Amino acid sequence: MGLDALTYPFIFLAIFFEAFVLVTLLSKPARSARGRGPVEETPSVAIIVPCWNEEATIAATCESLLALDYPADKLEIILVDDGSTDATPAAMAPFAERPQVRIIRKENGGKHTALNAGIAATSAEFIGCLDADSFVAPDALREIIPCFASERVAAVTAAMAVHRPGNLIQHMQHAEYAFGITIRHTMASINGLYVTPGPFSFYRHSTLKELGEFLHGHQTEDMEMALRIQRAGYEIENAPRALVYTKSPDTVLKLIKQRTRWTSGFLRNIFGEYRDLVGNRRYGVLGMLVLPTAIISIWSSILLFSYAIFTLAQSIVTAIQVRMGIPLSYIFLPHRSFDMFYVPVNFFIILGLATLLASLSLIVIGKRLSRMPGPLGVGILSYTFLYGLIAPLWLIRSTADVTLGKSRDWRW
Amino acid sequence: MSLVTRNVLIALLITVALAGTVAYAVNYLNNARIAELSTMEDQLSIDIISLDTQFSLLSSAPCESIASSTMLMSDLSDLGNRLSYAEGQLGTDNAQVVRLKEQYSLIEIRDYMLTKQIAKACGTKPVTVLYFYSNAGDCADCDKAGYALSYLRTTYPTLRVYSFDYNLDLGALKTLIALNKIKAPLPAFVINGKHYNGFTTLADLEKQFPKGALATSTKAIAR
Repeated sequence: MGLDALTYPFIFLAIFFEAFVLVTLLSKPARSARGRGPVEETPSVAIIVPCWNEEATIAATCESLLALDYPADKLEIILVDDGSTDATPAAMAPFAERPQVRIIRKENGGKHTALNAGIAATSAEFIGCLDADSFVAPDALREIIPCFASERVAAVTAAMAVHRPGNLIQHMQHAEYAFGITIRHTMASINGLYVTPGPFSFYRHSTLKELGEFLHGHQTEDMEMALRIQRAGYEIENAPRALVYTKSPDTVLKLIKQRTRWTSGFLRNIFGEYRDLVGNRRYGVLGMLVLPTAIISIWSSILLFSYAIFTLAQSIVTAIQVRMGIPLSYIFLPHRSFDMFYVPVNFFIILGLATLLASLSLIVIGKRLSRMPGPLGVGILSYTFLYGLIAPLWLIRSTADVTLGKSRDWRW
Repeated sequence: MSLVTRNVLIALLITVALAGTVAYAVNYLNNARIAELSTMEDQLSIDIISLDTQFSLLSSAPCESIASSTMLMSDLSDLGNRLSYAEGQLGTDNAQVVRLKEQYSLIEIRDYMLTKQIAKACGTKPVTVLYFYSNAGDCADCDKAGYALSYLRTTYPTLRVYSFDYNLDLGALKTLIALNKIKAPLPAFVINGKHYNGFTTLADLEKQFPKGALATSTKAIAR
């Protein structure tokens, strides 16, 4: 058995997961969720924007919230300055005069403390959170509210997209976020979500009171809260057309830093306080399928990447050794015309391509589901050629961090 | 049955069906490759027998068959490349690959003998290289030697290189090895009857060739 045979179970698992997503996407609960239209009801809503040194974006974030299609008397915007040391207070100041906006200033204590300060200051029925580097579509809140129809729904997530992708790294994330829209929508239909992301996730206030304040959650307070909601037996819904645009890292290093925080937060929560959820039938699809698959996918990505790097390095070394002393004019010139006989067709390559094709389909579906404007071609291309090379780096880094007990700075 | 269980089963079914289809398709393509090689070998066998017969028939002018012999070398080389690729894809232990290699070795031996006969009858001075390699992990330099020979064969079209797997269990090959007294270490070469073992560099290998043998001109054969 060749070394590549060790990778087959992981490719098999990847295809299985994608097939499961596609089948679930076509199932009744997901179809019903897609058919859900806006409702006339407008319960009271408070949106908390935790800020720490967000002078560059806070004004635009706030403007986008003020432009939401929602009755002004039912919408409260709470800007929480978490001890900023830049011009964030000055950037917030013009909004103090708006009747909907309330500004809270506190000493720096971390994002979760800023959220808690905002929650403590409102009695609204639903509480939303919005990172200060994100901007919402005007109809986003109208898409969110109907998802709370069932009393069992404790939280609702939005459809995240990259705000004005500029370079290849951002376009790659744009495609990845579209992929995430499909996954989040599908998994929500069977209550399999384990994160309520910072950009525009909403919570039922009464449930938050019952479950308690936001915690540090290993720098992933949104994941910790989602896991707490799941453990308490509530549901987390998704509104696939509630678009929120978020600023994304524009370099590989920044991206790796951001994702290392996310992934190590996931691992620390899952192997720490929420270990009991994994493989537990009581937590349904989340415990039996989603969390185990997420854990295995981290390990398998590292394994597949290491295997690919090892094989590539081995091939390069062998190729150099074999060609040493041979004239370059022979080495670099093609020695035969295209011939189907030499097309490398094997099990590994075909199944790898099938996995990629399914991923690309999920990206396109995500774009259609969310009605995300703008082209996605560059995103798909950069996702195809870059994502598999970059993602394993943050997975390796975060796994190493968790194993070695190393913590890193929050900011990217 | 819950919705999730049903979806898991359907997804599992899709995955198994997809993996099965891919496995079938890959197997089908590999068989097609083998069939293509087999057809090429059959054709080469016929060509060699034809050449052999032509050589015998043209007893008064046996050198008329030289042109055909030169063309065959190029086909033989192409078949060798394909076989080597198929071996890499399907593995050295694959029964069909081993069978094809045996047939290929026989064709090579037959062509080598015929080349010697033509040389004797027509006074030509072909440069022949018998190259013995091993895939059993006991020949660290075989890949380098094989690549160097491919370069030489491409650069000097008159060169006749015959590659043999030293460990192939084939009577005719064993006789060829015994007759030429081929021994380890591998790779081993017999260049116009002169023995040479091991491979260091292309330059060292080139030194083993007769003076003037490595010329790009085809004058030696084409009359």
